[in-house]
Amino acid sequence: MRAQFVLQEIWIGLRRNLTMTISLVITVAIAMALLGTGLLIKLQVDSSKSYWHDRIEVSIFLCAKTSSNANCNKTDVTEQQKQEIQNDLKGLSVVKEVKYESKEEAFERFKESFSNSPGFVNSTKVGDIPDSFRVRLKDPEKFEEVTKLLANRAGVDQVVNEKEILDRFFKILNGLQWAAIMIAVIQVVAAVLLVANTVRLSAFNRRRETGIMRLVGASNLYIQLPFILEGAIAGLIGGGFAAILLVGSKVVLIDQLQESLQFTSQLGWGSVFGVIVFSICVGVLLCAAASFLSLRRYLRI
Amino acid sequence: MIHFDNVTKVYPNQNRPALQHVNVAIEKGEFLFLVGPSGSGKSTFLRLVLKEERPSQGHVHVAGKDLNRLTNWKVPHLRRRIGCVFQDFRLLPNKNVFENVAFALEVIGKPRRFIAKVVPEVIDLVGLEGKAHRMPDELSGGEQQRVAIARAFVNRPMILLADEPTGNIDPATSIGIMKVLDRINRTGTTVVMATHDAAIVDAFRKRVVELEDGRVVRDQSRGVYGQAY
Repeated sequence: MRAQFVLQEIWIGLRRNLTMTISLVITVAIAMALLGTGLLIKLQVDSSKSYWHDRIEVSIFLCAKTSSNANCNKTDVTEQQKQEIQNDLKGLSVVKEVKYESKEEAFERFKESFSNSPGFVNSTKVGDIPDSFRVRLKDPEKFEEVTKLLANRAGVDQVVNEKEILDRFFKILNGLQWAAIMIAVIQVVAAVLLVANTVRLSAFNRRRETGIMRLVGASNLYIQLPFILEGAIAGLIGGGFAAILLVGSKVVLIDQLQESLQFTSQLGWGSVFGVIVFSICVGVLLCAAASFLSLRRYLRI
Repeated sequence: MIHFDNVTKVYPNQNRPALQHVNVAIEKGEFLFLVGPSGSGKSTFLRLVLKEERPSQGHVHVAGKDLNRLTNWKVPHLRRRIGCVFQDFRLLPNKNVFENVAFALEVIGKPRRFIAKVVPEVIDLVGLEGKAHRMPDELSGGEQQRVAIARAFVNRPMILLADEPTGNIDPATSIGIMKVLDRINRTGTTVVMATHDAAIVDAFRKRVVELEDGRVVRDQSRGVYGQAY
């Protein structure tokens, strides 16, 4: 009896202000989808960050005849300079590994990574990429010691820190993530206010019923439960739509990002599912809490 | 059953108290008319019994319990033992007679089988045999009030409070309503009825408590509406 009665009351309530319910569901769905997308991007960024953290390298490009750097004087780096640089690098405590890459090896690697665009490869020839040392650091934050060591060193053309490039890229992703979360927060505020209003309207519509319930001694829980569940169910439906949107954003946004940016760490469906469950829970709890709080002011004993 | 112990009630933002130093003791099974002009404190009296309001001073005891000490949590249980009838019936327009009466039991979680058994009995008791499936707008005022009485009584309360139950009903029909209330009183239920209806009070010759400006000016067993000249 109880369950059936409560369900019936909820159904009446949701149907009576259908337009409010629809706008509520849409708002919740968008809020939760944005929140979830923000979280997905964050997960992706975090996992790629830790992946790259271990693989980040500082490249030290050495002088070649073609380099435009005045430091090089249009001459190739000498064997002796190479040896000195290598020894100095290995002497640094922050350095984990030093690898030498010749022009030929560099060209091979280049050909391999751009095998999809043959035009690009054909217009490049051996020697366009100079000899280099690739240095892996124990802590990528301490790349400055390398830069300091090799500043204005004879035979060194350029020191390129991959971290700087990646940082710029992660900054963009971070911005994207925060933008999504900020918009989500604004939407969540709107959703909460909308829930409060919907429930208040619902309570007003049913003030006869609630008045009689109070008089005949229905417990507060019994009076309030249909309204709270009404909010929670709207939240749940909104969360369901958000789940669909999130699956969409995983396919459209995250997978595309992964493909075009060659993230090596794949964000699995497992974490997408986790995010979906999390955002549905947040949606339901927020809606229920908003209903409860707005009722406290509206339905007193 | 109901004891008012030096009760004063002042509503916020009002200088004049709605009730002043009221002492009334109503025993189990009594039938009591609460009379007096509008604004004399009759409704406040009833609201205090239901703990819809708290006394500013003094104590209200219902069924041996001091309502000042009753926690909000327990107020619903108090109200389950008190039935209420109003001048404006307060029926749910989208439910039929049976559903209106059953509503009072549903919302306190009574099982369906119990409801199916008890509700028709009460509908018969108030004289609405065969009208269980009518909607409220298909009923006369007197019949609607009978539905409201059935709803108030279906949970067999110890006390029935009636706030001008005949206020919207013509005198001939009112007699029928009074007979129903009398029948309920004979089952042992204490009935407190606030009314303006002199003819009814005079005809019934029950205990009369008269309020004026929030004071009890008369408490008379087997009384009449006006002063006995």
